[in-house]
Amino acid sequence: MSAQPNPTLSVALEHVEELARGLGESGDALALRERARDLVTPLVLPDRARHLWRYTNPERFVPVADPTVLAPVAIAHEWPREDDLAAAALIAGGALRMVEIDDTARRAGVVIEDLHRAATDGLLGSLVPPEHGFAEAINTAAWHGGVLVRVPAGVELEHPIRVRCVASAEPVSVPRVLVVAGAGSAFELVEGHVGGGVPALVLGVTEIAVGPDARVRYSLVQRWDAGVTGHLTARARLERGAHFQMSLASFGGSLYKADVGAVLAGEGAQAEMFGVSMGGEKQHMDHHTEHLHEARKTHSNLDFKVALTGAARSAYTGMIRIAHDAGGSEAYQVNRNLLLSEDARAESIPELEILTDDVRCSHGATVAPLDEEQVFYLKSRGLPHFQAMRLIVYGFLGQTLQRLPATTRERIEALVASRLHEE
Amino acid sequence: MTDSTNAVFSCADVHIWVGEKEVVKGVDLTVMPGEIHAIMGPNGSGKSTLANGLMGHPLYTVEGRLTLAGEDVSALSADEKARKGMFLAFQYPVAIPGVTVASFLRAAVSARRGAEVPIRDFRKELLARMADLDMDTAFAGRYLNDGFSGGEKKRVEILQMLMLQPRFALLDETDSGLDIDALKVVSKGINAASTPEVGMVLVTHYQRLLNYVRPHVVHVFMDGRIVRSGGPELALELEERGYDWLEPAAAAGGA
Repeated sequence: MSAQPNPTLSVALEHVEELARGLGESGDALALRERARDLVTPLVLPDRARHLWRYTNPERFVPVADPTVLAPVAIAHEWPREDDLAAAALIAGGALRMVEIDDTARRAGVVIEDLHRAATDGLLGSLVPPEHGFAEAINTAAWHGGVLVRVPAGVELEHPIRVRCVASAEPVSVPRVLVVAGAGSAFELVEGHVGGGVPALVLGVTEIAVGPDARVRYSLVQRWDAGVTGHLTARARLERGAHFQMSLASFGGSLYKADVGAVLAGEGAQAEMFGVSMGGEKQHMDHHTEHLHEARKTHSNLDFKVALTGAARSAYTGMIRIAHDAGGSEAYQVNRNLLLSEDARAESIPELEILTDDVRCSHGATVAPLDEEQVFYLKSRGLPHFQAMRLIVYGFLGQTLQRLPATTRERIEALVASRLHEE
Repeated sequence: MTDSTNAVFSCADVHIWVGEKEVVKGVDLTVMPGEIHAIMGPNGSGKSTLANGLMGHPLYTVEGRLTLAGEDVSALSADEKARKGMFLAFQYPVAIPGVTVASFLRAAVSARRGAEVPIRDFRKELLARMADLDMDTAFAGRYLNDGFSGGEKKRVEILQMLMLQPRFALLDETDSGLDIDALKVVSKGINAASTPEVGMVLVTHYQRLLNYVRPHVVHVFMDGRIVRSGGPELALELEERGYDWLEPAAAAGGA
């Protein structure tokens, strides 16, 4: 079974040059956009027989309107920020709308700036190249509304940096985030995706370059309104001795595909990923994770939990690849799915490619309904059915939530609570 | 028959089906305030099914009339019965990973008392009851029954009973799997919970527990029925003679 170009499906990317010029970009930036555009013209959608797209129809992520047409949208988005932040950036209505940096971070040389005009040293499109896939290529050709976050070598930030991307009334949102963590830097970054409105489509890409011995905690929190269709791709590249902890929290939207992962490129790099997803009603969630061990003595650990109610669907594919010359590496992966209703469905497929014997590697996956004996036990102590279920879900997700940074954990716990209250 | 007007718990003509199979075949029981009853019977006689069925296990079909402190609770769910003061100590308590003993018990105690218990008061009470049961305070922060030994699980069942202060408690094989020290501690907890207002039923295979918790009434349970009732001396007789001598009575009582 091979994919045929579908004559009824094409993506219009007619105004790449005007877009780049209008945004004041360099010639290199335009060349990247054109390379990406040419990859999807004509549009050849991926083969559905491949794992990555077995459970989700790629056609749903093809924009119907030309995303290279700049149609500035007036936005009014309230963003109450109560906690102490090192910096904050807001992407909405197709542009970077707001940047705040506190004095300490500014004096330390932290840079938060419009990605269109920033010097990216060739990093843009290097961690997620347009060849990655059609959704990433469309983003690369058409992205507008982007931010560069750069934390210089040796800088440790006490408070987190927050980037918020608002899916708004425009037909396609194509946000882009580039994070550069200097050698030995240490900080936390929370990227939140919110909003929605009209049947919105979001194609987002985030690239994170983690320098030698840097320690970065990154959270990707998706809580779009119902009705949003979205595809987010995030890749980190870890240099020698770097430590990257990623938290994944997926709650919103109607159809969501996330493709996240880390390339462990330097010796001794460590990547941890802790994720929770809750789906309800007819939500469709598709998560792909990738940990590519390219250097010796690298370590990855993944724990991803999914709880589903209603007629929600979840698909998870988790790739671990350990290269021939990445001996002494360790990789662990666990995906557990809890089905809270009879109509909920989950799939879990680990994929391992291990090209050396000198590794320790394990993976586990479970899909299980709510345990009636657990429910009865809690009910026999006076807890109503709903509360019993909620406690079991909290427990199920809780062991993973415990491992998230405190700031993110509190928010996600609140999301879990509100999700359970909806049901 | 005992007058059940003031009974803390009574049931009449209770039948329990597990799937198509009738396991409990007509049980009458009346427990007065302050009374401890023992239901003794061989393995497979249906005594655990009786205990779980009375509490409201979702997989069992129960017929018959149940009253709790004079109120008909036949149609109530397990959680409603529990909030009205009924309690079951499980033979095999399930683990709830990720939920600590303390957070679970605070939710349960709040549900039972009908009001949120302030965290400081709760904590104080919990630590006092844990001390009564010779439990390490670290248990409060452990996940409920997750990785607990058999003895630890039974202690936590008794801890829950002491915290929830039921009117009527069913204890299903609470003595099984306990060494002698643990048995003494658990017995102390059962005796502490057995106040003059409270009724209890101990479901057990062995007479051992009854050396530490003295029952007022002993019932012999065989093939889904109570085949004989008597005083504490009946338990000693069972210990000496086993259950075989009662078989004909069970057969005679059959349909």
